[in-house]
Amino acid sequence: MIEFKEYIENLNKRLHNYIPDPATFTPGEEGVFKPLDVYNHPKKEADEYKFKAIKYAFKHHYENNSFYKKYCKENNVTPDDIKSIDDFNKIPLIPDKFFKTYPSGKEFAMWLATIYTGELPNIVIKKSDDHDDIINKFNDAGLVISYSSGTSGRHTFIPRDKRTFNDTEYAIAKAAITMVYPFWEYDSYGYLLMPNPFKTNVFAGKVCSVYFDAVKDVQVALDRELKADLIRAAMKNNLKGRIIRYAMQRENKKMIERIINWLRENYKKKNKISFLGAPFILYFVMEELERNGESFDFGENGAVITGGGWKIFEGQRIPVDEFRKKVEKILGIPPENCLDLYGMVEGNGWMVHCPEGHYLHIPSTYYHAMVIDENGEEVAYGEKGRFAFLDGLAMSYPSFIISGDEVRMYEECPVCHRTSPVLEPEVSRAKGDEMRGCAEEMRRVLSMDLGGKDA
Amino acid sequence: MLRELKDKEYIPPKNMLKLFIKGGFALSKVLIKNMGQLKKARKERIEYIPLKRNYELPEYKPGMKVVKSNEKYLRPTLYCNPYAKEIVALANHLGAFEKDPYEYARDAFEFVKRNLILQIMPLDGVVPTLKRGYGTCLHKISLFIALCRAAGLKARYKLYAIAMIQQWYETFVEIDPLMREWYDAMGYFMLHGEGEVYIDGKWIVADVGPTPERQAATGIPITKFGEDSIGIWFQAIPGSIMRVESLPLGLGMASKLLMEKISPASVAKMNNNILRQVEKGRKILQEIGEEEYNRRVRKGYKMPTIELERKSIIFE
Ligand SMILES: [Zn+2]
Repeated sequence: MIEFKEYIENLNKRLHNYIPDPATFTPGEEGVFKPLDVYNHPKKEADEYKFKAIKYAFKHHYENNSFYKKYCKENNVTPDDIKSIDDFNKIPLIPDKFFKTYPSGKEFAMWLATIYTGELPNIVIKKSDDHDDIINKFNDAGLVISYSSGTSGRHTFIPRDKRTFNDTEYAIAKAAITMVYPFWEYDSYGYLLMPNPFKTNVFAGKVCSVYFDAVKDVQVALDRELKADLIRAAMKNNLKGRIIRYAMQRENKKMIERIINWLRENYKKKNKISFLGAPFILYFVMEELERNGESFDFGENGAVITGGGWKIFEGQRIPVDEFRKKVEKILGIPPENCLDLYGMVEGNGWMVHCPEGHYLHIPSTYYHAMVIDENGEEVAYGEKGRFAFLDGLAMSYPSFIISGDEVRMYEECPVCHRTSPVLEPEVSRAKGDEMRGCAEEMRRVLSMDLGGKDA
Repeated sequence: MLRELKDKEYIPPKNMLKLFIKGGFALSKVLIKNMGQLKKARKERIEYIPLKRNYELPEYKPGMKVVKSNEKYLRPTLYCNPYAKEIVALANHLGAFEKDPYEYARDAFEFVKRNLILQIMPLDGVVPTLKRGYGTCLHKISLFIALCRAAGLKARYKLYAIAMIQQWYETFVEIDPLMREWYDAMGYFMLHGEGEVYIDGKWIVADVGPTPERQAATGIPITKFGEDSIGIWFQAIPGSIMRVESLPLGLGMASKLLMEKISPASVAKMNNNILRQVEKGRKILQEIGEEEYNRRVRKGYKMPTIELERKSIIFE
């Protein structure tokens, strides 16, 4: 079996385009690129990495971002107050909803400029530019503006610079590949259960472009662009909506057929395969296989990395362990190779299942997670609250966020012996908050043919 | 005439006009597209019992003091007549001309905030609002402004489009599919506001809209006189804040059209929902008390505010 060190070195070779010159590493980047395993680094050293990364990021945003500085002043906190990890809970958190409160028209461009930390390149905005035009102009100027959307119809927009985006792509690849050790090798075949990363500004899709650099041959489930307008039109209960839904239904059928054919072909050739993306697409594939009485036995030659939420249809969730059982039964892929990833557009930390216990491990060298109660105070390990985090990687916007996701955190994994804290295997949205999840957008489109109008 | 209209700001400011025009178009589109649904909604009967006023009206006595001035922010404006007998009586009852201005304005604030219940309905004047005991936040702001102006304190509206917090979305929007379509189409058409009163060289904000019960029901702090609800429990869409002497012309008609002609059942549903919310909030406040509630909820709820910067963006 390949040594873990060599395994990660191979990854770094493959992804060298994502790694900046080490002489220019920010402390956050040091925490991502230097440790071999960001989920199992010796505690003391991991804390040192983390403290430097987050203190640096906090100071950077305090000094270069006027709205965040003002917010800190209102909260009576300055970078000098952060002397150790124990002071991290003084860092003012931004509710994730904040990134949904953007104005329209040319003011949207100013809003992006305002939440962006530091100076921007020159960007010319025309009167007639809409949101998409403005995003594309920012992106042409070297930024990566991506978004995710919620049921209220408002998107969450996050401005990353190219470097922060590369960092987060590397981080997600390292997360998955670390945990499936020793499964990963470049000479393998992948299926991305997401929109084409090169055709979308949806964060969950875009961040997956690193898959194409980590795996030799990658197919994409959804090659069309998922435009917000189309989704909205398809949900209407009129003729146009019905036509779009009908077209989608046909397309979905074809998509599932394509994936099944791909499975057959690679199984015959004894290729190593992986799936990455929304669980519900694979769920539909497995349902279809089950109906036809077909199954495979990929064994150690297969892996499934899911992300983006566990809703299948409106009001129906698949329990994660049931999904794993199905994957084992239909595809023959063992549960240790079937892991879930949890992350969000606002941050650059990726929580990933350990193969032994399927607890979500939190990277401990550049990212600090907290669980906050309704009074804004940290709760003890094991108690329920809202997931919040301090991200030492984001240089282009303050990524100190309190989310609406309800979690329980444990200091240690109850099953494996990695040094990082964990979240329970499944994360849900706090009551009263909207469902989000990155698979949610696609779920909305793809499940429409079943229930008609979907919320 | 036109100059006076402009001077009194009866003509909506440009950004508000833009919001309304956009909202108007989007709304017409939704309406036309949903004629069938709309017809159904119009036929639907929802039981709705109007509230009873929960306070006494003080008696008007001839000779009661009132400040009558034609100065900006003191004179009567649309739906806001500070000279009406009922207003003058209440202003005197609340201690106008006796208490110092800050104290009086704060008491007027507390009266309007606590006593008048939120119900969605077409705009009308301060007298019917006061007699009825309920209205929208715009009704309540007008009443607060009238009480200030009657006492010789300059007062104005601060209006803006809001990004709703989820609980609001649930109350107003989610309850009714038609409303949701409106909401999705309208985007920025959701106008909300506060009052502002000028004391000792400073404009002081007065968030008279939500009663403590409603704030408790939605888990947000009970705002005090001088405290902005922006940033505490929701965000104004940046750039949409406007400060005006008067509500604009046309808003009354538009609201009447929207609520009475298009979908009275939707409005009744929303109002019933608000009343349920008030009930829920009352229970919460009874259980733990207002002070303790406020202490708890304030610790957790903050939202940064931003002032838009241009940086190196060039607008053509
Ligand atoms: Zn573990």
